[in-house]
Amino acid sequence: MDIQELNALSPLRAFEESLGGGLGRGNLGVLVSRHGIGKTACLVHLATDKLFRNEHIVHVSFSGNVEHVINWYKEVFRQISEDKPLKDASAIYNSILANRVVMNFSQENISVEKVLNSLETLIRQGSFNADAVMLDGYKLTLASEDDVRKIKQFAQDMRIEVWFSVSPVRPNVEFDENGVPSTIFKYEELIDALIGLKYDEAVDKVVMTLVKHEGIIDPKPMRVTLDPKTMLISV
Amino acid sequence: MSDITKMRNIGISAHIDSGKTTLSERILFYSNRIHAIHEVRGKDGVGATMDSMELERERGITIASAATNVKWKGHSINVIDTPGHVDFTIEVERSLRVLDGAILVLCSVGGVQSQSITVDRQMKRYNVPRIAFVNKCDRTGANPYRVKNQLVEKLGLNAVLMQIPIGLEDHLEGVVDLVTMQAVYFDGPSGESLRYEEIPSELLGEAQEKREELLDAVSMVSDELMEAMLEESVTAEVINRAVRQATIKLDLVPVFMGSAYKNKGIQPLLDAVVNYLPNPAQVTNTALDLDDAEKGITLVADEDLPAVILAFKLEDGKYGQLTYIRIYQGRLKRGDELINTRTRKKFKVGRLVRMHANSMEDINDALCGDIAALFGVDCASGDTFCHPSLNYSLTSMYVPKPVISLALTPVDKKSSDNMAKALNRFTKEDPTFTTYVDAESNQTIIQGMGELHLEVYVERMRREYKADVNTSRPEVAYREAISQRADFNYTHRKQTGGSGQFARIAGYIEPLVTSEDEKDYEFVNLIKGGVIPTDFIPSCDKGFQLAIQKGSQLGFPIVGVRAVINDGAFHPVDSSDHAFQTAALAAFREAYEKANPIILEPIMKVVVEGPTEFQGNIFASINQRRGMIVSSTEDGNESIIEAEVPLSEMFGYSTNLRSLTQGKAEYTMELSKYNRIPTSIGEELKKNYAEKKNRSR
Repeated sequence: MDIQELNALSPLRAFEESLGGGLGRGNLGVLVSRHGIGKTACLVHLATDKLFRNEHIVHVSFSGNVEHVINWYKEVFRQISEDKPLKDASAIYNSILANRVVMNFSQENISVEKVLNSLETLIRQGSFNADAVMLDGYKLTLASEDDVRKIKQFAQDMRIEVWFSVSPVRPNVEFDENGVPSTIFKYEELIDALIGLKYDEAVDKVVMTLVKHEGIIDPKPMRVTLDPKTMLISV
Repeated sequence: MSDITKMRNIGISAHIDSGKTTLSERILFYSNRIHAIHEVRGKDGVGATMDSMELERERGITIASAATNVKWKGHSINVIDTPGHVDFTIEVERSLRVLDGAILVLCSVGGVQSQSITVDRQMKRYNVPRIAFVNKCDRTGANPYRVKNQLVEKLGLNAVLMQIPIGLEDHLEGVVDLVTMQAVYFDGPSGESLRYEEIPSELLGEAQEKREELLDAVSMVSDELMEAMLEESVTAEVINRAVRQATIKLDLVPVFMGSAYKNKGIQPLLDAVVNYLPNPAQVTNTALDLDDAEKGITLVADEDLPAVILAFKLEDGKYGQLTYIRIYQGRLKRGDELINTRTRKKFKVGRLVRMHANSMEDINDALCGDIAALFGVDCASGDTFCHPSLNYSLTSMYVPKPVISLALTPVDKKSSDNMAKALNRFTKEDPTFTTYVDAESNQTIIQGMGELHLEVYVERMRREYKADVNTSRPEVAYREAISQRADFNYTHRKQTGGSGQFARIAGYIEPLVTSEDEKDYEFVNLIKGGVIPTDFIPSCDKGFQLAIQKGSQLGFPIVGVRAVINDGAFHPVDSSDHAFQTAALAAFREAYEKANPIILEPIMKVVVEGPTEFQGNIFASINQRRGMIVSSTEDGNESIIEAEVPLSEMFGYSTNLRSLTQGKAEYTMELSKYNRIPTSIGEELKKNYAEKKNRSR
């Protein structure tokens, strides 16, 4: 199948539908769960879907290992293109790579200013017209409200979508029935979409709950789930 | 030296400017081979002993590896100094082939840089056990702990500290040996006398903690040490034995530290070479038996067996033509007869020498495991010499294809002769450097791995061979390819008195989907019922192979094509090998035009490292060069930017980068892949090629 067909059939369409057509530019989206539930894969799947639609992505990682992130993209692409056999897969992969930059910050406790500064440098001086930024593993629960406000402002100024994957840093954090830690709610008003991920043994799936959307906290289960084997979003 | 257990063949590999030449120099000094230490860019104008080539002195880099023998505490160590710049990686690879172990030199400030990653990948490919030396601990910002962590994180090595520093930066005084738990100081004008003391009290806690880490890490891979720890009977001998075994098995990388420039930490490093790196008998080497379908044969480091020798480096220096060899099996004496298994030529061993960087020593024989040099042997680097009873070839070394070319025009007849001599020598020395005469322009073309690679050879031609040549702008080695299937049906017919020529072939060409092995060409024969006689099938294959040597768009080789023949005709008298070759050649050319041909260009993986403040300039410079930023990593104030950039856009990048970053950033590049060229640029190239062709007519 070709890329248009693949995009039309993608489970990400159902994901976007739950969000009323997508997160939208200038907005902050958060995927939150305990460690090891599959947030990075989920974030990479979101990014890959955008790349498939010719959008430009910056993937920001704080892990110290670029190779690791790149391998995630390879793996997610491989699974998608094998699941629904894609024509000219390797050529498509090479072409979408030009629209992705991985930005990695190895330093402990790097400031938000520095991250945003580097992003702006890439976008302006590197002429990289980013449509979305994926902040993978950002310690949002430790950030100050001011930090989050700066990220929001940046998203609005640059007209980009910002997605976070978040796990609480401190131990003994309480999670609610949707997999959302209590520590996240302090910035609740700055977050435009908050999605909790939680493994449900009964169905052997990671269920996704849209906890907050369009200013209202009213948890609703999403139509999509994460397959615990492939870690991909599926309907 | 007859005891193989007291022999070591080691390399010193590292990032450019991490101080490996200074380190080599100190190693020579402490092993009493030279009497004064010359700095690489020293004021005395002598230059470090290892950089024997004038040009290297001027540029402050090491180009060719020189093998040097030193003695240390009853051991014989052959040191191969390897170049750090990526343009010369064939030199690094070639020396790694003959090494049994290596010192990976890292800068205590810069840490694991892109070049260290390349070099480490090469070491992994050849299974070279290594120890790490964190150099320049006297520099501002020195942090050996951070470098050790990078070895673990970035290179995935099981690195453990064997020492901790006593003071850092300008307070560097010495090191604490975590095996013997002693403080080591380096006294005397050149640090030549070692003083052992108790560990300073303020460092004792840390030393104990790091020793625990060392023991924990090593005991994970050594049962003997684990038992000794449980029985509380750990001795220095037990630790050394365990570290040695683990290092040789590639399970561990012991980390040492110091400052070569400040004469600190070198002698313990030499001890570590002897203690932890393998002797030649502990390394498995295999050869291919050419008489037995290239079956793999394990060589045995036994001096009584027939000799197997690798010629790994040729040098044409002031002593005449030298061939550096490594003996893998048997022994070699003056007057012995050997056979070069590539050329099948026999020769007698004349002078046999052991090399120091700039002097040599005549020897009567050399044993398996050793590195020596021969005089006046006609061979190419990579050739295998055997006792005449054997026909082995040592595994062929991986040779990357050249990506860049340059036309040379000698200024006069004398230069022309000298240039021919120089090229003959260089191509034998360096398999990544090739040369040919272009049939159309009649110019001599040289090809290599990068701009600097070619520049260095042109300079060497001028200096060493007095060959004055003008050079053209460097040209990229493009490739041509087809993007769709096209049929052909061609009849070659000629009747000019005497016997005529006749051949008809039909079939198609189509793109060959590049798989892992990257096949450039495939020939498929689907002829049924003998419409083309079997004898002439190879002629068709030959004709196609001739055709793909030069595409019609830019005159570059055509890659990734499958040629299929499925029909044809012949004449009992007029058909011949020649007729079918000609028919295939013409048929291919005809089909090629219909197959929507495209141009491919080499794309380089470029890694730029520099202070974060210049990140914007670096991004912009890549963007201007049709580059694609793959990633950017920030660690403190340092940034590493990885990008893919077409080679044709990389000319002059070093100068550009220097001016953009006040000389504070540097870059390396290597071939990543071939990509389709943008149409507008392709058209421009085609236009230029057509004009050039017309002019030469």
